[in-house]
Amino acid sequence: MADHLLFGFLPLFDAAPLIVAKDKGFFSARDLKVDLRREASWATVRDKLAVGALDGAHLLAPLALAARLGDASEPNRLIAPVTLNEGGAAITLSRRLEVDGLTLPQHVAGRREAGLGPLTFAVVYPHALHNYLLRDWLAAAGVDPVNDVRITVAPPARMGELLECGAIDGFCAGEPWNLAAQASGVAKVAARASQLQPGALDKVFAFADSPLQRQSDRLAAVVAALEDAAAWARHPANRAELVCLLSTPEALGPVATTASAALDEIRFAVAQAPPQAVARQTEQMLRWGAAAGPEQTVEAASQVFAPLT
Amino acid sequence: MRVLIVDPDPARAALVIEGLGGVQPLQVRHLTVLDEQEAVAFGPDVVVVAADSPDRDTLESLRESSHANPRPVVMFVDRSEPGLAEEAVRAGVAAYVVGGLAPARVRPVLEVAMSRFALMNQLRLDLEKAKADLASRKSVERAKALLMRERGLDEEAAYRLLRKLSMDKGRPLGAVAADLLAFADILKGEADG
Repeated sequence: MADHLLFGFLPLFDAAPLIVAKDKGFFSARDLKVDLRREASWATVRDKLAVGALDGAHLLAPLALAARLGDASEPNRLIAPVTLNEGGAAITLSRRLEVDGLTLPQHVAGRREAGLGPLTFAVVYPHALHNYLLRDWLAAAGVDPVNDVRITVAPPARMGELLECGAIDGFCAGEPWNLAAQASGVAKVAARASQLQPGALDKVFAFADSPLQRQSDRLAAVVAALEDAAAWARHPANRAELVCLLSTPEALGPVATTASAALDEIRFAVAQAPPQAVARQTEQMLRWGAAAGPEQTVEAASQVFAPLT
Repeated sequence: MRVLIVDPDPARAALVIEGLGGVQPLQVRHLTVLDEQEAVAFGPDVVVVAADSPDRDTLESLRESSHANPRPVVMFVDRSEPGLAEEAVRAGVAAYVVGGLAPARVRPVLEVAMSRFALMNQLRLDLEKAKADLASRKSVERAKALLMRERGLDEEAAYRLLRKLSMDKGRPLGAVAADLLAFADILKGEADG
């Protein structure tokens, strides 16, 4: 293992602790040489972690678990000892659904009678809080997420565009992409993770099964640098500078400025995943898209989200 | 065999398609952006997708629908041929097998894709280097002209002076020339101001 560490992230506000740790020198203050790489998909992040092409990454908590269980790839022994954020995921609906003042079940029934295709919603990945939130929310609204609607997967950055062209009627993704769609006038945020499921596990920081994983001092230093960065990012006095850091072309680009108000919806929190949040997520995974049986999933969750010793 | 290529980079996809021409009886289609309906209508046996395509997650979610059922090639190739999956990830290529295609038939497709991705990378690097070389040569020419004008040196002496600066500072000739030009601009700016 070289001295340099390579960490990956996707263009989302909850990647801020990584971006801040790098740009504000929290990694280098702990003698860590870190390079960041923006990736285009969660599947690529998972594969790169699996082969050690990334040493660590910003990752969907359920995907960390699915990867450990060998879903869609060889099982890999990645660990996710800390979360990165709370809040930031939201369900956003097309303004077209507001036109007749109909409820969602009425839309579903109306389309069925008219012989139209089902309403289509997009989430960011099958193993994601966003998928579980949307399904729970639809079910609570009296819509069967399996039989009444179609749920597809799309990259967060493309959600607004898909909504505008009518390919989807709503989506669940992380910020800033909800506020960005709302700001363009085509959509409205209907519900947020912070109301639907406060304290839900969203993104974690995952370490690959690389030699780094066996260097406990360096692992601890990375986590400490991320904690410093999250504290910095939470501080209101740093907001303007945070927006600048997130707006660079290497990070999120201009959307971080135009939808910067979405930062109010996120709390950066680098901490051990609370056991009750892990249990809840495991339960949701088993309900909405299991990668393995219950016992195996619970066992793997206790390994993936275990704190550093 | 039907191969679907999903790659946001059309030039790279063209290279892959050209490379696949030599492999075996093939029908190849390229999509810059994944269109689910078009993909399903084409009915590929193998989907080759660039790691830098944001459509990978969508493609992966199709595993769950019944009509198209791509299995990531990473999964089964790894067991029989260790190293191939890792090589593919590092080359920036992922592949999905849709039906029950035998691993042996996927391998040549994946290998062509990997080698063409590497070739494209090399071409990009070469182009960047050629651009940088050209820029460096221009800076050296301009710096020489500056030294000839300001210090009354002949061309040979101006070049020797630049070489000496470069060796003393342990920096490339082009970089030293660019520094000299930048400083000259600043001094000129101050004189003007």
